[in-house]
Amino acid sequence: MGGVNYLPLAVFGVILIVTLGITYWASKRTATATDFWAAGRGISGPQNGLAIAGDYMSAASFLGIAGLIYLFGFDGFLYSVGFLVAWLTVLFLLAERMRNAGKFTIADVLSFRLNERPARMAAALGTLTVAAFYLIAQMVGAGVLIKALIGLSFPVSVVITGVFMLVYVIFGGMLATTWVQIVKAVLLMVGALAMSLFVLARVGFNPIQLFDQAAAAHPEGQGYLAPGLRFTNPIDVFSLGIALVLGTAGLPHILIRFFTVPDARAARRSVMWAVSLIGSFYIMTTFIGFGARAFLGVEGEKAAGKGGNLAAPNLAQFLGGGEGTTGGDIFLAVISAIAFATILAVVAGLVISASGAVAHDVWTNVIRRGRGNPEREEPTVGRIAAAGIGAVAIAIAIAGGESLNVSYMVGLAFAVAASANFPALVMALSWRNFTTTGAVLGVVLGTVSSVGLILIGPEGPLGKEGALSPLTQPAIISVPLGFLGCWLGSFFGRDQVAERNFDELFVRSQTGLGAEVAIEQPQRGRAAAAATTTQT
Amino acid sequence: MAQSPPASAGQDGHAGDDHHPEIDWIAAEDSPEFKQLLAKRRAFVLPATIFFFVWYFGFILLAGYAPDFMGTSLIGGFTLGYALALTQFVMTFVLGAMYLKRADRDFDPLSRRAAETALEAGRRKASESDGRGDGGSREVTA
Repeated sequence: MGGVNYLPLAVFGVILIVTLGITYWASKRTATATDFWAAGRGISGPQNGLAIAGDYMSAASFLGIAGLIYLFGFDGFLYSVGFLVAWLTVLFLLAERMRNAGKFTIADVLSFRLNERPARMAAALGTLTVAAFYLIAQMVGAGVLIKALIGLSFPVSVVITGVFMLVYVIFGGMLATTWVQIVKAVLLMVGALAMSLFVLARVGFNPIQLFDQAAAAHPEGQGYLAPGLRFTNPIDVFSLGIALVLGTAGLPHILIRFFTVPDARAARRSVMWAVSLIGSFYIMTTFIGFGARAFLGVEGEKAAGKGGNLAAPNLAQFLGGGEGTTGGDIFLAVISAIAFATILAVVAGLVISASGAVAHDVWTNVIRRGRGNPEREEPTVGRIAAAGIGAVAIAIAIAGGESLNVSYMVGLAFAVAASANFPALVMALSWRNFTTTGAVLGVVLGTVSSVGLILIGPEGPLGKEGALSPLTQPAIISVPLGFLGCWLGSFFGRDQVAERNFDELFVRSQTGLGAEVAIEQPQRGRAAAAATTTQT
Repeated sequence: MAQSPPASAGQDGHAGDDHHPEIDWIAAEDSPEFKQLLAKRRAFVLPATIFFFVWYFGFILLAGYAPDFMGTSLIGGFTLGYALALTQFVMTFVLGAMYLKRADRDFDPLSRRAAETALEAGRRKASESDGRGDGGSREVTA
């Protein structure tokens, strides 16, 4: 596609204006640290459910899974199943307890009962590693997308994405990020529904016929509707399953969403709202992926690009009437703009979680040791941290360029989340004898083993031939190693502070007694700056 | 109220520490309400977690080791694999909804009562030990 396409650019523009309006509104309501990191804990259950869905349904979910289903059929759908079932892990083990125990970051939960500085450093390492991989993957995805759909160059596309992401976070904090995610979730659901209905209309609203037509259009025929086209090693499939089901419960940008609601009840409600949205979305991506296969066929593979990322936008163009028609152009523009909004909402959530790790954990509590008035100072430090993180992410995305494989990096993020963050969090919340050394060893071992195994695996820089490990998915080894680190480290000596504070953390996480409370609406603004949380 | 200072220094000695030493956490943990809460929650979460792990990883293992079996046609192109995948969706909704119902009906009232017991034990202890009576300014909502 040569030149700049003005129609999608115009639709992008409308979305950007709406989100900037939200940011302006949110900026007037963001004064304290609780506002900046947790939107004053005033987000309702259904709102948070939408925002979680908006945070979770990334470019990898929309374009990536639709593309994988288009290319590999059933194996693409395996991701969707894992991404959805994962919410049971979140709901049963972490959602309410995070809300009750935490404040702004996942490190708050660890440092509550462990030796503060090492525990925070370990948790910040886990958070930043996950956020870095996820963020760079999304930025590269955005660059590739905008380049293909609008015709702007890759670096310009990445910079535009980065600048808007920073505007939301720096001026509007968590409140703006939340509402950008809500708007995006609604847009994405409407877009996916429209595409699904268009697809189903072409097969007389008979899904079975869609399955048959899709299989007929694939060289493997019926094999398209069975596993095995993408994954040949069953251990890899199992390992991927572990990473997906446990990794979601270790994603920092998802877990901090639970700090934005007033109480545990709203936290669990938000999970079920998210599950309903995400579940129906994944059903619709199947229709989109199958639609692309049935109608675009083998000939469409080249235009869909590596990984099939452009299958969904190309299908939209086809459904609207095809290339060159007004309907086709409009549908393509709308779906492209929604894909762009999708990425913006996800990267904003990632930046705010990463800047929380830098500003709240490392700066306020490790370097400054909580001196001064964090409620007033932290938003400023957080904004500086966000700007720094954003700049680094933009630079790496441009330097790495289009050759960085998006789904590879998102897979890495899930593997690290499952191996480093998840074991430490679960152990801290439920095991009395857990110690600081255990947390540090668990996070470090989980991070190093998951990243290391991917690097020496067949999809790493060593290539298929030189790979030292046959696994493309590390979780089957790195998750047990993460737990082993937690357990082993806890034997290096008793940690009396950890044991004493466990009683408090345990009761607090289970009952909500002593948990951070929401800022009351009338108090919002400058006067509320000093009125923290515990005293109302 | 709006002008009160941030949470006072806690056990580890710096501001911003969110511990509540005025609550008797050990008493809370030993209270029958709390024990009942844990037992009730465990009675649901443990079997539900085992079930969804077995059902999900069973599906994943079949997908990995028995692709032909998963490719068995049920109705035309709708294969056994897709049918089993749909059961995963249903399972997620059903177990999630069951958890929500139980949490509203059983867990919440119990955790509220456990919190009240703990607050009361803490207040009693504070008034027994001396007359400093600091409890009032550090009211905690459960």
